Amino acid sequence: MKFAGLIDAVTAGALQAAWMNAALSPVSEPGRRAADLLRPFVRGEESDANDRAQLVMRFAGRIDAKRVDAMRDALRGSPDPLPAISRAAMGDVLDDAQFLELQRFLDAAARIDALLDGEEAPLVDEACAALARTLERGRAGKFGFYLADNFDASLSAARADADRAQAEYDSARGRLAQRVAQALGRDEPPAGEFIVMRESVPQLPQGVRAIREAPTYYLCELELDAPAVEALGKRDAANARVAAAEQSARVMLSKNVRDAVQALETLTVRAGQLDLLLAHARFAQRYDCVAATIEPGAGIAFAQARYLPLKAELDAQGRRYEAISIELRDVAVLTGPNMGGKSVALRTCGFIALLAAFGVPVPAQSAALCLFDEIAWLGIGASEDGGGLLSSFAREVVRLQEILSRDSTRMLVLVDEFARTTTPYEGKALLVALIRVLRRRGRVAFIATHLAGIARDARVRHFAVRGLRNIPRARSGDLDAALAALADSMDYAVVEVGESAERHADAIALAHLLGLDEEIVAEAGTVLAEETGMSWIR
Amino acid sequence: MRTGETLLELVRGGGARSLFVVGTGKNVGKTVAMRAIAAAASARGLTVGLTSTGRDGEAIDAADSLAKPRLFLQPGCVVATARNLLPEHPASEMLDVTGWPSASGSICFARVRRAGYFEIAGPPTASAIRECVDRFFSYGCDQAIVDGAQDRVAALAGGGDAVIVATGAASARTIEDAVDDIRALVLRLGVPACDPQKPMLKITGALTASRAAQLVSAREERQIVVRDPTQIAMHGKALLGMRGRLDVRCERPLRVVAATIASIGRDRYFEPRAFADAVAQATGLPTFDVYAGTMVRAA
Repeated sequence: MKFAGLIDAVTAGALQAAWMNAALSPVSEPGRRAADLLRPFVRGEESDANDRAQLVMRFAGRIDAKRVDAMRDALRGSPDPLPAISRAAMGDVLDDAQFLELQRFLDAAARIDALLDGEEAPLVDEACAALARTLERGRAGKFGFYLADNFDASLSAARADADRAQAEYDSARGRLAQRVAQALGRDEPPAGEFIVMRESVPQLPQGVRAIREAPTYYLCELELDAPAVEALGKRDAANARVAAAEQSARVMLSKNVRDAVQALETLTVRAGQLDLLLAHARFAQRYDCVAATIEPGAGIAFAQARYLPLKAELDAQGRRYEAISIELRDVAVLTGPNMGGKSVALRTCGFIALLAAFGVPVPAQSAALCLFDEIAWLGIGASEDGGGLLSSFAREVVRLQEILSRDSTRMLVLVDEFARTTTPYEGKALLVALIRVLRRRGRVAFIATHLAGIARDARVRHFAVRGLRNIPRARSGDLDAALAALADSMDYAVVEVGESAERHADAIALAHLLGLDEEIVAEAGTVLAEETGMSWIR
Repeated sequence: MRTGETLLELVRGGGARSLFVVGTGKNVGKTVAMRAIAAAASARGLTVGLTSTGRDGEAIDAADSLAKPRLFLQPGCVVATARNLLPEHPASEMLDVTGWPSASGSICFARVRRAGYFEIAGPPTASAIRECVDRFFSYGCDQAIVDGAQDRVAALAGGGDAVIVATGAASARTIEDAVDDIRALVLRLGVPACDPQKPMLKITGALTASRAAQLVSAREERQIVVRDPTQIAMHGKALLGMRGRLDVRCERPLRVVAATIASIGRDRYFEPRAFADAVAQATGLPTFDVYAGTMVRAA
């Protein structure tokens, strides 16, 4: 899939678009060509996007995963027929490797038709089937191809003649080699170049020619006698006739391919489209997806959605993943504890929007959203453009201005802790201002932050990750164990909240769990209590 | 002496179904040895699979325009070679066209249907060469033969292969130099298996000359254990210098069964019997002169 226009490189990195591409990747060259042509649906194409997602879901529901995998295996193992088709279309004579490739491709298409079992229009039409029948005459073993005698009437006779001529030559040369071996006292009749020691023979026997001389030996080869030369001439002539007959068979076969070029091209395109459909259907099956409802009105809403790259990582470690539900119509603020999943919530929004834009079913219980012109990510995970010349804050500002300058009218903006590295009071001012501007410009945006009072001051909806239910008392000193304990204690659900819900002291608890020096943890707890009256969760 | 048959017997006598012919350089007779063994195997009714880490069987050497030994293969042989090098005539049975690239097109597998001359240029990577060997067996081959350049011996790392080493007048100025080269090659490929009962220092990755020098200066007495002999990244004098000072072992030993010599080089000649004797003494291996049809063993 080509994301250009919908997301830039920074957003692609933040949303792990490469993971998505790999997960949705077709397995054959025709499929990859079809994927290259895929572009996101744009506003006004909501109905097409819905239709595509429904098509994928219907296919995934009708054809079980085992059959989908079997079809993908057939495509994966089939060669790309396009080079051979193109050569044939230009009138070239194909070589045997190209006939094999065409036969393999037609085999794969026939196998897929059998697996589809009439549930879709067959891939192989009569012209392709006729070509397959012709190539079948060259099938060798289960998967091989040989320019067999039955392709051309003259082949069988020419090959039989050549066999006789070869046998006659082998015999004549063999007699000569045997005589030479006896003369030289060797067990083995010479083949190719061989050495004769000067001291072993007063002179080279008849039938041996020295091709190089060394002080103590000759490098020799056989010198064919008259019967062998005559047999060699006959053999070469017979081989030339075989070559002519083989070429004639290839010309005939290539013409058959040329006659079927249009059907083959259509088959290649359809196989590619099917490969893409299979990739999307398998994705939907593997990740328990639904077709999102694509609506004209701006916004994104989903229930029990999963950000799959992270889920895959956690699954591999045997750790829990908690799906989330969000409804976003314009701009909203998201708060919550460190490691509570704020960034993941933002990424989930982008991931779902990205999939839906291509008509791919989404990993959620339900989803309804619009087609965005652009999805933009600002925050942690963004590239380090500007290198050491710019501070973290400066880089954010440059990136923000670049996003604001875009003229797309329906943009999903995902902002992850903007202005976290400047003074809290200025950061807050900038963030509130940003939210107001984004609202005025009609953007849909989700703004994750630790700063307090943002939603209230900007007068937007406020979501929060529920956060820690409790903290395990024992400190293990083992980071993996601490992370597992944290995951068990964290409620990752994202809920709409009032302003009072913002005041948490989870960070000190988290630092404690992760093994920060006890002295610092205790001191921080004291300072927190003195300045805010809050106590950290123990 | 039927050299091809005797070499084949040495290979198969030890149970190896795959054989790598590894040379000390170019034009040292690898193809001639491979051809003799393939012919002997075909004569015995065995199905042979052939490939090369370089290019074999071309009539003229692309590098110096001089004649090279050609490969005349019998029906039944399977080759892994670049698709553009496969002869149009006689037609071969096409078994597969792989995605492995090479300068002469992707590598394909083909079964020889009618005897003829073939050029063989196999895949460029060690792992693909290894896979070639496995594919030969899946196509029913009884014996796989790989013409393997010295810098591609990593393909041997799967173990269970027999190795024949080849040297010749083309790769060294004197018999002594050629003998040094092949002794170092045999020393490297013939590293014995480690003894699990004795102390050992396992080397991850390659044992380089500088690492070996460090170990020598530290007077390391434990077994120095590499995964397999191809992990020893030393040649010639550096390797010979390490001998006797480090106890280098490996987890997966190779089996070097024979040496071959080619006493004719493009620019020089060696006296064949003296050359064969010297190689046999230096390596302890039965040493074959396929050109002369002789074999000598170390005294």
